[in-house]
Amino acid sequence: MSDAVIDQKTIAIETERYHHFITLALWLAAITGVEIVLIFLPLPAAVLLAVLALLSAVKFFAVILWFMHLIYDARLLFWLFFAGLALAFATFTAVLMLFETGRIDTKWFA
Amino acid sequence: MSQDAAHHAPTSTGIDHKKLIMWLFLASDCMFFGTLISTHLLYRKLYPTGFTDAEGHQQFVQKLFNIELTSFSTFILLMSSFLMALAVSAMHKGQLKSFRRNVVGVIFFGLIFLGCQVYEFTHFYHQGLTIQNSVLGSTFYVLTGTHGTHVAIGILWLVMLYFYSFTGKLGGHVGALDVEVAGLYWHFVDIVWIIIFTAVYLVEYLGPSGIWGNGLPVLAK
Repeated sequence: MSDAVIDQKTIAIETERYHHFITLALWLAAITGVEIVLIFLPLPAAVLLAVLALLSAVKFFAVILWFMHLIYDARLLFWLFFAGLALAFATFTAVLMLFETGRIDTKWFA
Repeated sequence: MSQDAAHHAPTSTGIDHKKLIMWLFLASDCMFFGTLISTHLLYRKLYPTGFTDAEGHQQFVQKLFNIELTSFSTFILLMSSFLMALAVSAMHKGQLKSFRRNVVGVIFFGLIFLGCQVYEFTHFYHQGLTIQNSVLGSTFYVLTGTHGTHVAIGILWLVMLYFYSFTGKLGGHVGALDVEVAGLYWHFVDIVWIIIFTAVYLVEYLGPSGIWGNGLPVLAK
């Protein structure tokens, strides 16, 4: 395959991604807008917290998958990053649990 | 197989070393920020009262935060990430001028974000929240300050790439890879802020007195 052919293929791929990036940027802006509206709604805190966490996770994975090319790249990179993410989440959970047992009241969840 | 994976680098993993190392660094940085965010949330839970200003008045975080400003800076950072993705795409297509335009946009948005953060820190300081006078101040400034430092490093990196592009050495596959690695770093800064925006700012507005309540520190009961 000649270099010219490869270049044309790359340009075609990148042009396709360009449209994906624009769509994604609009979705990210919209989700951020929804988050801001949500916090002023008279809903139970636990429900709002769950929804906000979910929306953050959606934005987080959208950026790493498309903007950071993980969806196009080698699988190894995904698992490498996911390992760090899993360790971070495990640390986060462990720290909160360690200081929770029998010491914190449950009004936080009310 | 995915499209990028088809472009094998001449390494044992088939992935270019620069990219592999950057992803390893980002994975470790996840743990770094995970610890800082955990610490902030833990202490917010243990000490939900906010802070006491210089005159001895109790201040609550909900009244201190400016959600409009933070939302604006979040939007700016998201859009900078979008421009960074376009800059990387332009480099892969060999469009140097388009790369420069987009990267200038990223730098500009990054500077706006930093400006918002400086304004916020100054405002909080004048309201009486310092890094020394409360647990909230310590964890908040360390967490958001560390993130701001990451943003500043990213801006410096992109400014260097911008000027380097005029030397004629930033081109071809190697140049595109250099820009892609810088882009990975910038996007990471963005995803960290996505978490901070929710975990530090938005949760303060849940419920009439914030999710942490306004009671006395739990351990002191």
